[in-house]
Amino acid sequence: EESGSMALNLTINSNNPPLGALLTAEHVKDTVQVSVEEGKDNSLHISDSVQFSDTNSISRYLARVAPALGLYGANMMEQTEVDHWLEFSARRLCDQPDLTLALGDLDKALSLRTFLVGHALTLADLSVWAALKDQSSWPSQSKAFPHVRRWFFFLNSQVPFSSVGSKYASKKP
Amino acid sequence: MALRELASLEKYLGLKKPNKYSTQGDKKVPVLQNNDADPLVGLVTIACHLVKEAKRPELLGDGAEGRAVVQQWLEYRVTKLDSHTEDTKSILKDLNLYMQDRVYLAGNQLTLADVLMYYGIHSIILDLAVQEKEQYVNVARWFDHIQHHPGVRRHLPPVVVLRNRLYTSRHH
Repeated sequence: EESGSMALNLTINSNNPPLGALLTAEHVKDTVQVSVEEGKDNSLHISDSVQFSDTNSISRYLARVAPALGLYGANMMEQTEVDHWLEFSARRLCDQPDLTLALGDLDKALSLRTFLVGHALTLADLSVWAALKDQSSWPSQSKAFPHVRRWFFFLNSQVPFSSVGSKYASKKP
Repeated sequence: MALRELASLEKYLGLKKPNKYSTQGDKKVPVLQNNDADPLVGLVTIACHLVKEAKRPELLGDGAEGRAVVQQWLEYRVTKLDSHTEDTKSILKDLNLYMQDRVYLAGNQLTLADVLMYYGIHSIILDLAVQEKEQYVNVARWFDHIQHHPGVRRHLPPVVVLRNRLYTSRHH
């Protein structure tokens, strides 16, 4: 696989931008060349026979072609934890009418952690942050979940998060 | 104690040439003999000088407000934490409340305040039981984050901080 050396093309649904994938692309941009185009559907074009359309799959691929950045964790244990949070963001934070239980679990996990996995930023943080950013009900609920709030606004203040947030989150309907 | 901290800080800052220090008085206040200028006296004074020498002004805080908060915690370190007049439990309680919505002591990045407070509080955290570390959960989280920050820990042994809660589901 020589994909790491060639330019990748990410097409995004401009009506509903995949924040997690865009954030991952922003984090790996100095290692992997990723161009972003607006279109109708989300798709990371690897080759004519391989394309990814799910936001977490796109993030996983980008993290794997830039292993030196450590976005997939430092060892097998952390990698499994990252997988747990990717699943958590997709199943329990996206398109859910009531986030109370999920936020309670997240709050407990974050009480003793600055980042979700290990001691540095991983895909877990990117994916869960993106899923929360997409929830219109989240900021008003933040008072009840102080650890999630601290973690969320800390990430918000960091450069790739603030730039992706202001560039794309405002385009949401 | 203060001399080992200053030696560790020099290494963290990447200063190539270690300085020679002496101490002054019963409290062993550190003194840095400057070649051409007057000697510098006191942990915080010397630490700030080293940060400037290493050209890392961001470690002294961001903006006027950030710099004031850093100075406040440096002062807290030498007055409250080092004096032992204040009860340890009340220090942990105050700090726990302060760190509830913060990752670092000042702003959203590591500063000299985090490094010197970490060095200063290490012996207190080392003595805490697992249950107490969970009681002061925000202090424990901050401490664990700083001790894993690349290059900071140096002369100090790592302290085990559990990353999952054992005792309660309460938040504070």
